[in-house]
Amino acid sequence: MTSKNSFLVSLKENSKRRLWVWVVSAIGYMLIFPVALSMFLSNIAHRSSNLIEKFGAAAAEEILHERLIESVITQTGFSGVRIAFTAVLALVCGVQGFSWLYSRKKIDFYMGVPVKRSKRFLIIWQNGVLIYLLPRLLGVVIELLIAAGAGAVDRRVLISAAAAFGVDLCFYLSVYHMALLAVMLTGNIVITGCGFFVFCVYEWIIRDVLNSYRGLFFRYYYFGSEESPLISPFTMYYELAATFNFRNRLDVGYLAGMLAFAAAVGALAYLCYRKRPAEAAGKAMTFAVTRPVIKILLVIPFSLLAGLLIASVVDFEPKQSTDGIGYVIFGIGLVLVLGSALIQAIYEFDIKGALHRKLHIVISGLLTALIFLVFHFDLLGFDEYVPDPNQVESVAFVPQGYDETTGNVRFDEEGNYISEQTYAEKYMYLTNAEDVCRLAQKSIKDYNALMEAGMLNEDMIFDGEVSGKWSSSRILYRLKSGRKVFRQIWVNVEDQETGELLDRIIGSDEFKEGYMIGASDHLINLVNDQGSRKIAAAYGNMVYWNSMSSADAVEFLRLYQKDLAEANFSRIRENVPVGLFSISIAEEIPAGGYTGRGGYATGTRTWESAVNIYPFYEECISWLKEKGYFMDTQLALKDIDHIQIVNDNLEANEKLQKEKQQGGIQEAEDPTAEYWPGMVYTADEYIDTKVYAEYTDEQQLKEIIDSIYPFEMLSGRWDYGAERDDNIGIFVYFKTDSPMTRSYGTNASYSFLKGQVPDFVIEDTAYREK
Amino acid sequence: MIEIRNVSKSYDRIKAVDDVSVTIRENTVFGLIGTNGAGKSTVLRMAAGVLRPDQGEITIDGMPVFDHMEAKKNIYFIADEPYFFANSNAVDMQKYLSSVYPEFASEDFYHYLMNFGLDKKRKVNTYSKGMKKQLALICGVCSGARYLFCDETFDGLDPVMRQGIKSIFASEMERRGMTPVIASHNLRELEDICDHIGLLHKGGVLLSKDLEDMKCNVQKVQCVFKTTEDEAKVISCLDIMKNEKRGSLNVLTVRGSKAEIVAIFATVNTIFFEALPLSLEEIFISETEVVGYDIKKLILG
Repeated sequence: MTSKNSFLVSLKENSKRRLWVWVVSAIGYMLIFPVALSMFLSNIAHRSSNLIEKFGAAAAEEILHERLIESVITQTGFSGVRIAFTAVLALVCGVQGFSWLYSRKKIDFYMGVPVKRSKRFLIIWQNGVLIYLLPRLLGVVIELLIAAGAGAVDRRVLISAAAAFGVDLCFYLSVYHMALLAVMLTGNIVITGCGFFVFCVYEWIIRDVLNSYRGLFFRYYYFGSEESPLISPFTMYYELAATFNFRNRLDVGYLAGMLAFAAAVGALAYLCYRKRPAEAAGKAMTFAVTRPVIKILLVIPFSLLAGLLIASVVDFEPKQSTDGIGYVIFGIGLVLVLGSALIQAIYEFDIKGALHRKLHIVISGLLTALIFLVFHFDLLGFDEYVPDPNQVESVAFVPQGYDETTGNVRFDEEGNYISEQTYAEKYMYLTNAEDVCRLAQKSIKDYNALMEAGMLNEDMIFDGEVSGKWSSSRILYRLKSGRKVFRQIWVNVEDQETGELLDRIIGSDEFKEGYMIGASDHLINLVNDQGSRKIAAAYGNMVYWNSMSSADAVEFLRLYQKDLAEANFSRIRENVPVGLFSISIAEEIPAGGYTGRGGYATGTRTWESAVNIYPFYEECISWLKEKGYFMDTQLALKDIDHIQIVNDNLEANEKLQKEKQQGGIQEAEDPTAEYWPGMVYTADEYIDTKVYAEYTDEQQLKEIIDSIYPFEMLSGRWDYGAERDDNIGIFVYFKTDSPMTRSYGTNASYSFLKGQVPDFVIEDTAYREK
Repeated sequence: MIEIRNVSKSYDRIKAVDDVSVTIRENTVFGLIGTNGAGKSTVLRMAAGVLRPDQGEITIDGMPVFDHMEAKKNIYFIADEPYFFANSNAVDMQKYLSSVYPEFASEDFYHYLMNFGLDKKRKVNTYSKGMKKQLALICGVCSGARYLFCDETFDGLDPVMRQGIKSIFASEMERRGMTPVIASHNLRELEDICDHIGLLHKGGVLLSKDLEDMKCNVQKVQCVFKTTEDEAKVISCLDIMKNEKRGSLNVLTVRGSKAEIVAIFATVNTIFFEALPLSLEEIFISETEVVGYDIKKLILG
């Protein structure tokens, strides 16, 4: 039986042989906590010396106090620097504590004495935890005492310190156990280091390779569907720190997951320790059975990774052609053979061993080839996969940037900012899977047909050079089996059947609730329960804004929800918004907010969430008119000095250029030479067809301003509805005493809608040959 | 009593110990001898609970030894290269060993240190190889363990120290029944200390006997026969391990007691006859030669 006393004696004896690690840990945490804080406090005091002068004694004291608090929170809270040191310490503790397993001499001694293996493990493990825990704890306690001395400790500081302490401990245990596992699986310190590194990055590499191959070979792979590595303590720490910094609360469930991960890795390390034969000392790998497995598991992803690098060098684009595939296969094969040989040489600590175990090369080669073929020929049918609607529980259909406004921010029910994609994934549960699946099938088929006919390439879609208007959409199929499938497709919004399908999909309440922020009560809740945030609502047309009270904003949003019920794809596509309803949310960034580079920042963060108001939103418009918020025109005549219009006369220009080209055909050697719009001309070739007109007449100005829209309102529409006329540029010059001059400068750009240019403008700016 | 029953151990695919069975009685000095690579160290390491046998069983006083604390308290293993903590001195070692061996005799430890002229405050890594072995032996003797496993421990000790250790062994055996198990190549050293010998060859046990029995059971006979018929008659009656002929002189290594052999020779006419006991080294060479480990092959190729 192990008495408590003998355990403590053993613990003390073990500590004696780990003195230098204790010293490193103590110095490290003393520098990180009290020393660093003292420096920060001194710096703040120095920087704040002129506060009284600027703000007066009372305000200065408050500002200084807040700055000190923020500094202490920064020091005690989540820190990139500290976590890097903690990770290194965990690795050192793990390796140093069990380094006796590398030496036969030490094994003979330790295994010969009457100490149970389990007890020895526990003693060394516990010492490794104490080496971290005691200096870390002592450091933070001294730091808090220093902070308290400066009057810079409050509830926020203590909560932040406690949260960081808990997360740091789980992080330390995770990394420490990974280091232990690496030690148990290897018999040499260098190989342990390599093993630990592989543990840290393996999942990243696997995910990266698989996702990159999906992106390389599959047309409909959605690049945003990648998930963060699940078994990386670094990712877990980042997630917990981010949650705490942005939501001011610790995700206890996630923390428990991290602790469970640490426990699982620790248990695995202990199991390996129990099974580890003493004769493994000095060998590369402890267990013979793991050697080929680890070799193959390393060689395959690295070979495929090499293939990716070569694919990027030789511009291998399998979606379009097989040019360069030979180089890619050669690269994969070369790295596979060299990688296998290198690992075998390491296993045997003999370069001549590189040629041994050729069977492993064959197995790795076959598996790698199989994976490559799966991607190259899409053997699993990934790319064109559309599930049977009967197997689908629900769908999230995300037309990227649909019905977009300048303030496109979405919030969840707790008022936290989330992206368009996350919002849809969280709230959109379309039960009409049949239409979405049909849309996906049709779009994939049509798009493939265009691609295969060589009529379309990826660049041309975005340049709008092909027939049809293609817009990108992401689809999340939630299958009844519990599986989630992401795809990204292109839909032709001009196609009739597509339009009908989109009408049903986008016109559904489920879509609106899961995509349009105004359809849910999230904005209403934000306005009603502002908390520490400052919320301002307004209605405007992107030029003029009328502020709204909170009560009006809530009332308006209720009406908006009613009007939105009448909206569908076609109706929105046919219309241009008459205005925007916007909510601006300003919030203080929590002190200690993580900025991503190991630094911290505080300040105010402002979000803007807006919804388009279309002419057919009758209840909204009538209410806006009744309340006096509505604006009849885009611009007020009183603010305008004059308007300059530039007509590029592109049609005439093209015609003239063509004539000029054809005129030269008789002299040119190539009679088939074609004219390309947009081609670059030399100074001699250039034909200027631009015609300028300037308007100051009130009647004409009124007619113009009734037909123009801010550039942003018409650009980049997902549905390609209400296109602006790119042929004509409009520059509105404001009067010098107008508020517009203060807001926008002397002039601003506007656009006409296609087909809505006033006749007199067309007449005045038409190109006439001299 | 240590019982090693049908124990086998392989390193990767190389069989180091193959079906070894040996019994080591208490209060004897057991010498484990063997050819290079015979598996002596492996047997000792398994008996000390450092290695786990692939097959078979090792018990100490009826208890399995691997990871069994009660059994291990009765064992102290001195490896061929003894380990001491980095930057430690004899006092540090004493403190550690006292914490793991409940019957560690600290007073004796310092007493022996003084007698052997070892400075207790001096760092062990500044000791000579021989001094380290002395310290390891002192640690082992003072541990209170009943079984002391010494792997090549006597190599590197000067004759005076060897004698000193032998006398300590003798006194400890007498006082508390200590049983040293010594693996060595130095057969001459074992000869005057061991009571029992286990001879290992290529992973297996060739023989395990009391040294006296072993010596009495193998004789070296030098003789000159009167006639070839006499020679043939005697040779057919003897269990000959080795027969060398130098001119008319026959040098025979023969199994059997001296009395039996003298009786057989008495039935023929010899010009010269002499029966001598073999040294341990000669027994080792003869026994291993029988199973093909021929010294001449090693020397002459």
